[in-house]
Amino acid sequence: MLSATAKSMTAWLAALLLAGPAIAHGAFVDVTAVDAIGIDARYDTGEPMAQAQVSIFAPDDPSQPWLRGQTDAAGRFVFTPDDRAGRWAIQVRQAGHGAMGYVTVGADGTHNVVMNAAGAGLSWAQRLLMVACVLWGAVGTALYFRRNRQTTVV
Amino acid sequence: MHIPDGILPIGLTLGGWAAAAGITAICLNRIGAQPDPRAGLPRASMMTAAFFAASLIHIPVPPSSVHLMLSGLMGAMLGWYAVPAVMIGLAFQAVMFGHGGLTTLGVNGVILGLPALAAFALTRVLGGVRHPAAAALVSFATGAGAVLLAVALFATILLAGLPAHLDANAERAAITALALAHLPLALAEGIIVAAALGFLRRTNPEMIGAR
Repeated sequence: MLSATAKSMTAWLAALLLAGPAIAHGAFVDVTAVDAIGIDARYDTGEPMAQAQVSIFAPDDPSQPWLRGQTDAAGRFVFTPDDRAGRWAIQVRQAGHGAMGYVTVGADGTHNVVMNAAGAGLSWAQRLLMVACVLWGAVGTALYFRRNRQTTVV
Repeated sequence: MHIPDGILPIGLTLGGWAAAAGITAICLNRIGAQPDPRAGLPRASMMTAAFFAASLIHIPVPPSSVHLMLSGLMGAMLGWYAVPAVMIGLAFQAVMFGHGGLTTLGVNGVILGLPALAAFALTRVLGGVRHPAAAALVSFATGAGAVLLAVALFATILLAGLPAHLDANAERAAITALALAHLPLALAEGIIVAAALGFLRRTNPEMIGAR
């Protein structure tokens, strides 16, 4: 009986020693505020690009992503570039739709964000005016060729 | 159905440009062979404007929205003029609104131009259909089929050019969801083309399949 208890005690001690590193150390969390790059991905209709795939390319390797991730339901994604200075490329894509954005990180850690977003940020009035201009051009083209046709016939 | 810049590998964008240039050249050649190539230009010009503006009209299909495509209507109304019209419309959309891109103009031209030509081919068949119900059905199939063909081309090209670093399963699921969202659009464009061709059959029947 006693020897059985001693055996189990020995086994327990052995297990304690083997598992020592996990139990013997406390855990510490260092909390530091860092500069991060936030991405807000939206379609031009204003809808968020939810669960879109994000690829971050470091300045020295434009072919292999340095980081991959997914936007949240609101189309947001946050990352912190490491200390490599240069132009970081950010690609967000979903089902063939997507856009590229760039962050230039200076040697002193300053950020300069450039988004490649043609057509984004246009108000409805601006869009309407642009459509009206193209329509006007089309009407002009149509009338020009109608006129030419009529004079040819005459 | 507009693939923007930076999504496809360079080989596919160049291939798209080559294919679009070939298709446009064939169409221009056919237009040039007509007795009066200028005769179709007023209509082509107006349809190009409609095509250009259509991409701004969004139809909500929960959870997202799709925009009108009109390649079936272009093919049915313009015949050989449809492809040059689509190319011009796409170029304007890319430059002014960022829909699609200039490097992918060729690929997008193929995605929307080929369905337009398919629609034109179906419209030629329509010229020989006498029964009104059958004619309405063929007209509907012209519009709906063009959307479905464009979606199929779009998905095939995207999947062929999927980079290795992307999560292929997630992208495939997103493309499938987008394709399904276009089914109501196929229905809507089928009705639009059926209405347009139905009107043309009543008022100007000799124009159907004549171009």
